[in-house]
Amino acid sequence: MTGARRAPGFGIGMNFRRLMAILGGSVPVSAVAIVLFLAVYAWPAIRFNGFGFIASNSWNLGSLYAEPVSQGGAMILPGAQYGILFLIVGTLLSTAIAMLIAVPVGVGAAVFLAEALPGRARLWLSFLVEMLAAVPSVVFGLWGYAVLIPLLGHYIFPLMTGLLGWIPWFGEPAGSGYGLLTAGLVLSLMIVPLIAATLRDAITAQPMYMREAAAALGATRFETIWKVILPGLRPVLIGAGILATGRALGETMAVLMVSGNALNVLPHSIYAPISTMAAFIASQLDSALQDPTGMATRALAEVALVLCLIAVLVNVLARLILARATAATSQQRA
Amino acid sequence: MKSYRAHLLAAGVIGLGTALAAPSQAAETRVLETGSSLLYPLFNLWVPVYTKDHKVEITTQSTGSGTGISEAVSGLAQIGASDAYLSPAMRKQHANMLNIPLAISSQMVNYNLPELNGRHLKLSGPVLAGIYDGTITDWDNKQIARLNPGVKLPHHAIIPIHRTDGSGDTFIFTQFLSDSTPHWQQAHGYGTTISWPAIQSEIGAEGNQGMVNALQQNPYSVAYIGISYKGAITQNKLGEAALENRAGKFVLANDKTVQAAAAALGGKTPADEAVSLIFQPGAESYPIINYEYAIVDAQMGNPPARDVRDFLSWSIRPDGGNAPHFMNQVNFVALPAAVRRLSQKQINEIGKEQNASN
Amino acid sequence: MPDATLADRAIVMRQARLHARISRRRAVSMLAWVLCGAALAALCLSIVWIIGLVLVRGIAALRPSLFTTVTQGTGGGLLNAIEGTCVLAFGTLLLVIPFGISAGIYAAEFRSSVWARVIRFLSDVLVGLPSIVLGYFGYVTMVEGLGWKFSVAAASITLAIICLPYVARTTEVALGEVPQSLREAAYAMGAGAGTVTLRISMRLAMPAVVTGVLLALAISVGETAPLLYTAGWSNYTWNGHLTGSPIGYLTYVIWAFINEPFAAAHALAYAAALLVTGMVLLISVASRMILLRAQRRM
Repeated sequence: MTGARRAPGFGIGMNFRRLMAILGGSVPVSAVAIVLFLAVYAWPAIRFNGFGFIASNSWNLGSLYAEPVSQGGAMILPGAQYGILFLIVGTLLSTAIAMLIAVPVGVGAAVFLAEALPGRARLWLSFLVEMLAAVPSVVFGLWGYAVLIPLLGHYIFPLMTGLLGWIPWFGEPAGSGYGLLTAGLVLSLMIVPLIAATLRDAITAQPMYMREAAAALGATRFETIWKVILPGLRPVLIGAGILATGRALGETMAVLMVSGNALNVLPHSIYAPISTMAAFIASQLDSALQDPTGMATRALAEVALVLCLIAVLVNVLARLILARATAATSQQRA
Repeated sequence: MKSYRAHLLAAGVIGLGTALAAPSQAAETRVLETGSSLLYPLFNLWVPVYTKDHKVEITTQSTGSGTGISEAVSGLAQIGASDAYLSPAMRKQHANMLNIPLAISSQMVNYNLPELNGRHLKLSGPVLAGIYDGTITDWDNKQIARLNPGVKLPHHAIIPIHRTDGSGDTFIFTQFLSDSTPHWQQAHGYGTTISWPAIQSEIGAEGNQGMVNALQQNPYSVAYIGISYKGAITQNKLGEAALENRAGKFVLANDKTVQAAAAALGGKTPADEAVSLIFQPGAESYPIINYEYAIVDAQMGNPPARDVRDFLSWSIRPDGGNAPHFMNQVNFVALPAAVRRLSQKQINEIGKEQNASN
Repeated sequence: MPDATLADRAIVMRQARLHARISRRRAVSMLAWVLCGAALAALCLSIVWIIGLVLVRGIAALRPSLFTTVTQGTGGGLLNAIEGTCVLAFGTLLLVIPFGISAGIYAAEFRSSVWARVIRFLSDVLVGLPSIVLGYFGYVTMVEGLGWKFSVAAASITLAIICLPYVARTTEVALGEVPQSLREAAYAMGAGAGTVTLRISMRLAMPAVVTGVLLALAISVGETAPLLYTAGWSNYTWNGHLTGSPIGYLTYVIWAFINEPFAAAHALAYAAALLVTGMVLLISVASRMILLRAQRRM
């Protein structure tokens, strides 16, 4: 006979679940709100700019001291034009250079940490590498500005143009130290720990029997790692690499302080100044707010939207690959 | 396990307690001044002196004139410092905004030429326009050599440095280029931000301080820097150019040349005081001078309005902010009496409506 | 015996080739280890260099007055910045702990439900959004849109949104490690989902969850770009207002003062860098120790 008494725990359970669902909903709500807001806010700029936005190199706020005119269906300042090809190129190139440096260095460091060090040293050096991940972006920028740029601009880059000048993009002028290579270098330092730590954990997690089998066949220690262990970890490496790419794409402060802040020019050499989308938004928001028609802030929102779309794509891709990799390895073991 | 929760709870209570017990200076009004990096050193001299005798808390910030204008308009800052007056479009959209001159300043054109930093190179508006639009690429270019006979100019590419932030210095520099060089006016015009012609070696810097740093780190570069940074320029042993004024004479920025240019304006400052002082006639006039403006919302509410009024009134007084010992430290010139009266009249507008209805 | 000699010679030569190949492989392996070691050395050198710079110049700039005076123009002290960083960090944690942990709990405990999958997917989306974009969002919606101006509220909410996915993910993973048998036993004894999760699963998962919260703390101490447009800057200590009043924070000092051409400003920037890096490293160490202690217990 069911009385008026509810089953113990059942009533509380539903409320708990609902409470968690509501509070936890802050995550999806925030994500959707931000992307939706950007899309809606940037819509007038999207309509005004069309495809020229990502195809042309002309970021121009227009004559700030002239009367707004009507053009392309919106009120804008005369001469206003928004093209961010140089930003897209700067972002992609700096991230590419960062990855080109970070992946070999990260893999090498991970291999050395996992295999070549005794327990104590491995612990402390792993910790050292992970400290690199903890340093805030603005402190990287501070170090880059105060130490790296004078070193690169006065000594290393001129040396490089001398030695490597025959390679296209590596020649004169050596520039001031602010530029693409510097930004790529600083970015690589910021993302290397991600790759190194993930890979090191994955290597140590590999079962001993693979190593033993390889040793029995006469492989050297390194050959075991290179030809037996690492190939199985390719998905992990790709996943970690893509996550690192996502991080590098969104870096703001460090890049802002070392990239040279190029405007409307594509880099012509590895030492030339660039601008990335994230750094551009940070440095140009103040200027954009001076536009009385508001089109400039909306154009910046469009930049943010493009950046978001790229970053989200990259991140989701990484998670998918990592998920498939962990599923595959657990299937393998089973 | 239980200890974790207890620890977290304790930490939370302590944290909350500290935050709530934080010294609450809610009694004193807070004023945020933001904007021009040219005016920033002067505000940093004024605020400690003024706040010693007056109960108000003024935060100063160097973010560029563009930010000063936009934050004053949107109410984020109570005083927007700007070397540039409001644009006609801005004034139409926000008719309640005032631009109030506080002092007269000027701008230098500086360069970093290893052999020539000790002497004053002669440069003119058209030459600078050529440098900044890429038609003049080397220091030993004929046009520069013509202005400087007998000077051994290095054969090296010029590195022009410009501001990346919304800058009043860009405003007055580009106004100078526009007024002196017709084709610059047509091709690029003037503003707190313009679309700088793309030159391979050019560098962008943030704030006057960034300009000084960039100039110092890059030999063979040229930059436009506000006069309040003259100390940093001399300290770093960088060069200052003598600019050609409208009368064809080459002058450096000093009290005499700036005052001559200000005087040449006559009584032509309008009531809203939005006027350009660039490229004034007169044999002694320095070509790049400007009013330093405080951009203020006339409809500001009353706790800050009264304090802002008092502070700005003090700042334009010849025995207050416009006193020689302040002006000399930043190489500014005090407001002439007629302009001071106009500024005071505008200052009295701040919060006037609220006062009237009270 | 000529045939035997030929055969012997062939064997000897094959052996020699084999040995040569082995030594070549050994040499290559040796070289590879050297390169890997060099990579690690380069990384260690970089971190030592960066921390060394901050330590050396930061310590040189430290004086007691830094902690007791506020910033005045480009000189003075860091009291307002330190207090501001603490206030913002506290505000961020206050928001991110309930919301983030709840998201992680839901994603772990009701794993197969649609909402959990939505939370998981959009958490990955949120974590990929660059922090400057979130700062821009905070500026337009809260600072301007809601009229809060530069404020602790706008800054804390923005920072909390940035940290949410990290806390959610660590909580979810931590709860995933808790053996299902424990939950089943608790349910069998009549406990409801709330009791099971909060009293039992969370207790076991607590060290990892705390690590996630510490990560959020580190992020809120070290962020700059979003704060530039939501917190503003103030030369004074916090006046207790959640909206309408800007607040100072250490990373602003690093960013803004290193550019000024005055030695006093540079000293402040390095001192601020020392404090920020020190705080973040301490949090990192604390996380590690908590995890190690928990692992040892298990």
